[in-house]
Amino acid sequence: MMPHLFTLPNCLALSLLLVLIGAFGVFRRHSLIMVLLSIEVMLNGVNLSLVSFNYFRWGTSETSHYLYMLSIGVAAVEAAVGLSMIIVLFRNYNDITRDRVARLGERAT
Amino acid sequence: MPVSPLVEFIFALSAVAILISSLAVVLIKNPVRATLMLIVSFLPTSLVYILLQASFVGILQILVYAGAIMMLFTFVIMMINPSPGEGDAPMAGNDSAFSGLRGALFGLLVVGAAGACILPLVYHAAGEVAVQPITKPGYGGLDSIAKLLFEDPANNPLTVSFELISFLILVGVIAALNFSRRKSAQAIAEAIASRPTEALPVVPPRETAAPSALLDRK
Repeated sequence: MMPHLFTLPNCLALSLLLVLIGAFGVFRRHSLIMVLLSIEVMLNGVNLSLVSFNYFRWGTSETSHYLYMLSIGVAAVEAAVGLSMIIVLFRNYNDITRDRVARLGERAT
Repeated sequence: MPVSPLVEFIFALSAVAILISSLAVVLIKNPVRATLMLIVSFLPTSLVYILLQASFVGILQILVYAGAIMMLFTFVIMMINPSPGEGDAPMAGNDSAFSGLRGALFGLLVVGAAGACILPLVYHAAGEVAVQPITKPGYGGLDSIAKLLFEDPANNPLTVSFELISFLILVGVIAALNFSRRKSAQAIAEAIASRPTEALPVVPPRETAAPSALLDRK
């Protein structure tokens, strides 16, 4: 007899761990692309918690599925704008690290 | 709550796969491989969505997220073509507490400690609520989501806000087009030279400051 694994606390724990892993990546990586990827991991965790709350708790409405669509719409826009900023940075400074972005006011080297 | 053992097994397997591939995303040096690991982590996530009776969301996760957004990432990474690990060596004197092997262990320790602090709270709070999984037929399918979003559109706030997403995407398109307009090198040099902060006196860098070579302006 397997223990009950497919429960609300386990789904929430999974999404919490995903958010923590993404936050770890945001602090750890220096490349802006990797920071964006870590943000996607965090978004994934948040989406998982939304949908699991809806399944286990919120009765008969699919409101959080709608919230999920909103979230991936925002994620798509964020990725498009962020990646175009990264391309501009790469074109002008040939460097896409956080440290370079922190010194944007200085001359291109 | 009666759930079949197969569902429990698939959920446990997917959870382990999600966690391992997400850890790989933040630990792998090569950006292309990290993106591919993120796509890999989306597949078991979609499986969990399907287990949560959100079949349409699971399809969207693969079609839109793994198919479109991650393709954008892969495209940009391959266009820029950074060498593996590029951008991960911090500037001298600008060392983050999270860089290097020691930083990885430190970060994992921080993440583990935060998880160990918050997880019991999550379990306690989630144990308080009465859990009733949904048994409605057709739940999470295309029909019922479409009904939720577009039924009685004149009085449905979700319809308006869903259509507003398209406005947000339009704003994103305009912003991305504006960013990617190619300016001449001369225009960039003039823009940098005419910055108001250039007129301010430059504080001479201390001897210990690492990027001092970049600060010697004329």
